[in-house]
Amino acid sequence: MTRKMIIDTDTASDDAVAIMMALQTPDIEVEAITIVWGNMPLEQGSNNARYTVELCGKNVPVYEGAAKPLMRETYYAYFFHGPDGMGGMNYRAKTPPAPGHAVDVLIETINANPGIILVTLGPMTNVALAVSKAPEIVKNVSRCVVMGGAACTVGNVTPAAEYNIWCDPEAARICFRSGLPIEMVGWELCRGEANLIAEEMRYCKEVINTPLAHFAIDCNKSAIEANMNWLGDPGLGLPDPVAMAIAIDPTICTRKSKHYVEVECDGTYTRGMTVVDQCNVAPYDTANVAMWQPLVTKGDPHITVCWEIDNKRWKDLLYQTMRP
Amino acid sequence: MPSRKIIIDTDPGVDDAMAIFFALRSPELDVIGLTTIFGNVETELATTNALRLLEIAERIDIPVAHGAERPLVGPFKGSVPFVHGDDGQGNVHLPLPTNQRIHTTAVQFIIDQIMAAPGEITLVPIGPLTNIAQALRREPRIATHVKEVVLMGGNAFCPGNASPAAEANILNDPEAADTVFGAPWPVTMVGLDVTHKVNMTPEHLARYSQINNPMAQHIARIVPFYRQYFETDFSGMRGIYVHDSSAIAYLIDPTLFRVERWPLRVETRGISRGKTWPAVSNRETSAHFVPWHNRPLVNVCVEVDSARLTALELSRMA
Repeated sequence: MTRKMIIDTDTASDDAVAIMMALQTPDIEVEAITIVWGNMPLEQGSNNARYTVELCGKNVPVYEGAAKPLMRETYYAYFFHGPDGMGGMNYRAKTPPAPGHAVDVLIETINANPGIILVTLGPMTNVALAVSKAPEIVKNVSRCVVMGGAACTVGNVTPAAEYNIWCDPEAARICFRSGLPIEMVGWELCRGEANLIAEEMRYCKEVINTPLAHFAIDCNKSAIEANMNWLGDPGLGLPDPVAMAIAIDPTICTRKSKHYVEVECDGTYTRGMTVVDQCNVAPYDTANVAMWQPLVTKGDPHITVCWEIDNKRWKDLLYQTMRP
Repeated sequence: MPSRKIIIDTDPGVDDAMAIFFALRSPELDVIGLTTIFGNVETELATTNALRLLEIAERIDIPVAHGAERPLVGPFKGSVPFVHGDDGQGNVHLPLPTNQRIHTTAVQFIIDQIMAAPGEITLVPIGPLTNIAQALRREPRIATHVKEVVLMGGNAFCPGNASPAAEANILNDPEAADTVFGAPWPVTMVGLDVTHKVNMTPEHLARYSQINNPMAQHIARIVPFYRQYFETDFSGMRGIYVHDSSAIAYLIDPTLFRVERWPLRVETRGISRGKTWPAVSNRETSAHFVPWHNRPLVNVCVEVDSARLTALELSRMA
């Protein structure tokens, strides 16, 4: 039986690989791709997503959504993904974006497909607007897999925060509080051993050697350099594809648990920090009663935090989707 | 080797009692004073307990100086009787001490001792850092005159225990902590990154009651209440985490730990107030890292040999 999915993305290089993985998985039916500002301005992200869909030979509509965060300024990631978000490859899509606004499409698609899997690969602006406009959609989402945050550990854009959440912390807070069945795939799962090392990238291009394999590595040219020079993490980090791997095959996440999770919107140094109540002390945090109490009184924690993944299996799934 | 002179700044506290006795029974360390602070208990009770503990240890020669009663900013949010008991000592309700606190304040005592013996005194704060920050403000030269600072507190790469984001000692005075981590002196942070990996099991704790000295006997009496807190609040937990004693263990044998050196900031606002944040890569070009620029590197303990640490502490009590 096929599973339906909708992907919300700020398509730059690692998003493109994640989209490819979903489109290339036989039992996943991608109903729509919605574009949000983030790594790239809206039009560039939209172009990158459409090009990826074309390359995979699919006919999935790409809709454009929010061009700005709810309250903050835009902060694009040219420094990481290159001027076009695709390592300077300047891929040009032939098809235009589909008519309609991403936020409406999210609502309509989710309501038309109860049980659909929602995967978010960028700032959560579109999804926050959708659950604000139509709060009832959350019950039609079976899983909401979020690439974002860092559970109790360091971030990437600041010492405290991961890029997607940091970009629009208010939107993330709205989503985390909305009742969406979020599975948080933090940045810490997507570096170190999860990176493709040089040998693995060679394997993609020389052994798998399909157009998609070349695309997946080539579009990440800037990201590979930035990973080394900026994050000091050798190899190619692929956060969005790791999240997509878990969306496709939940057993790739080998350790997870449910917690109260709040997004820091007020800190001096910690904007966008995902505060995970791993020690179950939220009810005792007397200084922040107003913040935690509504969550605690609503019931048991419902945010699933992923703690460990099977790196071999995530990479095997990636390789598999590069093949025709 | 001559023993190292230390001042323990403390809010006793069950685990503070364990740490103080551990230090008193270690020949490498010479405890030259206890300074008190609010935290586990109110400062008044902290002072009373410090005096009580020194009587049990038969070390009333060691001075006790009464410290700050509230944080640098705002009120003290209150003690934690559900962790340490109403008396801070597992509800054993010891008689009042007969010896007295000294007339000097904790802040002045810290300054006087450090300035009188440059390069000799190690500060060992195992409670909120208010006294230490106030001492720094009143006499900034203590930063260059101290030997080092080894503190229990903070969480660099793990969740908090007093709030989802923050560790109890730091959360009780984040402004003071940010001052202490920003001063030009060598600071070692023994925080939850390691102390939540040091577990004393019920079997291990039971051995204290078999040791025939007053300090071990006191620990055996006060620990059951403390243990109950851990076993209720941390699912699947048996025994206790070893917080304050881990700082003492670092002084005796730093090879028990793996240390990383990072600049630290302490969040003072929002729901993550009290979180200690290392900047693990120094991205000079990124505006988001500016608050960490020019901050001294702090020794952050990240790994620990738990079995060796707990064995060391037990062996010292016997």
